[in-house]
Amino acid sequence: MKAPAFSELARRNRALDWLAATGNYLWSGWGSLASLFIFLAIWELTAQSLGSLILPTPREAFATLGQLLQDGSARDDILITARRALLGFGLALILGSLLGLLAGISMTASMMARPLVTLLVGMPPIAWLILALLWFGAGDGTPVFTVFIACFPIIFVGAMQGTRTLDGQLKEVARMFQLPLSMKFTDVYLPHIVSYLFPAWITALGTSWKVVVMAELLSTTDGIGAALAVTRSHLDTAASMAWIVALVGSLLAVEYLLLEPIKRRVESWREFASSNP
Amino acid sequence: MNFIFGRFFRLTVGVWICPFRPFFLLTAAHGALAIAWWVGLLAGVLPLPEVAGGPVVWHAHELLFGFATASIAGFLLTAVPEFTGTPSIPRRRLQLLVAIWLAGRIAFALSGTLGVLPAAAFDLGLLALLLAAVAKPLWQQPSRRHLAFFHTLLALGVVHAGFYVTLHSGGDAMAWLRLTIGLLMILIVVALSRISMRLVNDVLETQGGFAAPYLARPPRRNLAIVAIAAYSLGAFLLPGNAVTGWLALAAAAAVFNLLNDWHVGRALGQRWVLIPYLVYWCMALGYATIGWGLLTDSPLTSAGEHLLLVGALGLSVLIVMAVAGRMHSGWGLDHRRWLPLTAGLLLAAALLRGAAGWPLLAGLFAPLLHTAALLWVLAWGVYLLFSWQTLAGPRPDGGQGCDEPVKPQADA
Repeated sequence: MKAPAFSELARRNRALDWLAATGNYLWSGWGSLASLFIFLAIWELTAQSLGSLILPTPREAFATLGQLLQDGSARDDILITARRALLGFGLALILGSLLGLLAGISMTASMMARPLVTLLVGMPPIAWLILALLWFGAGDGTPVFTVFIACFPIIFVGAMQGTRTLDGQLKEVARMFQLPLSMKFTDVYLPHIVSYLFPAWITALGTSWKVVVMAELLSTTDGIGAALAVTRSHLDTAASMAWIVALVGSLLAVEYLLLEPIKRRVESWREFASSNP
Repeated sequence: MNFIFGRFFRLTVGVWICPFRPFFLLTAAHGALAIAWWVGLLAGVLPLPEVAGGPVVWHAHELLFGFATASIAGFLLTAVPEFTGTPSIPRRRLQLLVAIWLAGRIAFALSGTLGVLPAAAFDLGLLALLLAAVAKPLWQQPSRRHLAFFHTLLALGVVHAGFYVTLHSGGDAMAWLRLTIGLLMILIVVALSRISMRLVNDVLETQGGFAAPYLARPPRRNLAIVAIAAYSLGAFLLPGNAVTGWLALAAAAAVFNLLNDWHVGRALGQRWVLIPYLVYWCMALGYATIGWGLLTDSPLTSAGEHLLLVGALGLSVLIVMAVAGRMHSGWGLDHRRWLPLTAGLLLAAALLRGAAGWPLLAGLFAPLLHTAALLWVLAWGVYLLFSWQTLAGPRPDGGQGCDEPVKPQADA
């Protein structure tokens, strides 16, 4: 058998390292699972003492959710809600990041943007929802707009802060060494800005998921929010809890299986920087 | 009479050199004997003298407070002086402790005729004397880093007292024995964290080229201890409840979480790392089985408890006795093949005994149980065979008492 080339070995090693890191990351989830199980025990205890009409036990909620997923009715609602949330979030992500970056470049623009952002952040989403209902009616537009307007200021502020806090000395160094623009952008500016942008995106994603359900509850006839409204009118606490479990569970899954690993990857330079002073 | 005792002590002079020696011998011998007798009794071959609480209580009590307590006594009486730099207990006191332990075993076996009070006096007296022996060094140490041993031992004493009070008044004594399982698991987590720090790092060091030393991180350990304690209290106060089921799953997850510290790469294949690692696997699987059983209303508690006791307790007693027994008798770590073999026997016994409790395998209950028992007895027989010289013979290195092996570059 021919010995593998050096580059082949290096590639294999990198793949192994990546596998080990992924395994370690997934395994570290046991700690979170332990506290979640303790939470479920407290929920179970509370449910047992209140009775299942007021609070169903975790097992009842899981069983109801399993049923909802099995008969297919839940899948459509989840897809509809996810579409609305992601659409609003995506719009906010693109516009918020771009405008925030632009606002951060100019001191004047930042000064002008600040009171407007305060206004946007201060306005409760429910007030936006009323306006959106008047503007868009009971369609997809209302929840998408409400999600967008709730997420936009969070991402905008993150992007603006990221640009504003760029290290002037590093810029100077990059200029002195006459780094090409593309290198300046990917190696000097981007890592710093992303370390501000990313947490903002994660916060906004959480917000989008919460706001979309609220918007649906009050404005639409389909989606998870609407399903929750139906369970409320039927006094079906088990189904309500099932939907809430689905919401929180999907949020946890997205956060820990998708965003946190990306965040670690993006921010690996920080660990490197702090361990090499 | 004195003449006979004098002769006995002269013949067994090697056994009394250090406290772990008699207790480790008794641990293995009693572990094998109690299980052999139990299986013989289940098969109807051997009789059981009338015991208080019935045969199941006798079986559980002998393994928890006979087998496990002997190993704990041997470990603590040797490890606490080492951790705190204090002298070990005098030989006469050691002989007294061993005699009380033996008297407790006999008294419990005869508790049907004698009543439970003599057994209670001996067993509780042993724990009290043990506490008295380790309390002073543990408290006097300025950092008091090892107080967890004192607390766990005190809790064991309290639970054992509760067991005897309930037994005396004719109540359900098994609940107290279940509580004891939780305490033993906590003690394993506490003790293994101390032992493993040194063992794993020694292995990593000899392998060389390791990136980071192994650390048993206290927050993870504390989470595991809290989760195990929560489950044990839950099982005591709300037996059979789903709340307890969730807490058992929490304990399983918290123990799996401990293994984050243990994924150290190739070194994991070494026996000094692999055996403690398997202890935690058995512990986590045991709690997961109990939790699964409680939440799906299937009778899996016994299967899970036997994974905890045969697997986690059995393997940790083995590794502790193999390491402490060899290090403090001057022989140095044991690299012979019997140790992984014995660990394999215990692991197989744990898995088979766990499987015997699954409702799906109910038809195979007796063969699985008997095979598991056979492997367990075999394991402790092998241990005794290969450790006899270490535990009963003179030191090979001219060292004194419980000292570690005398070497020019002793890095202890």
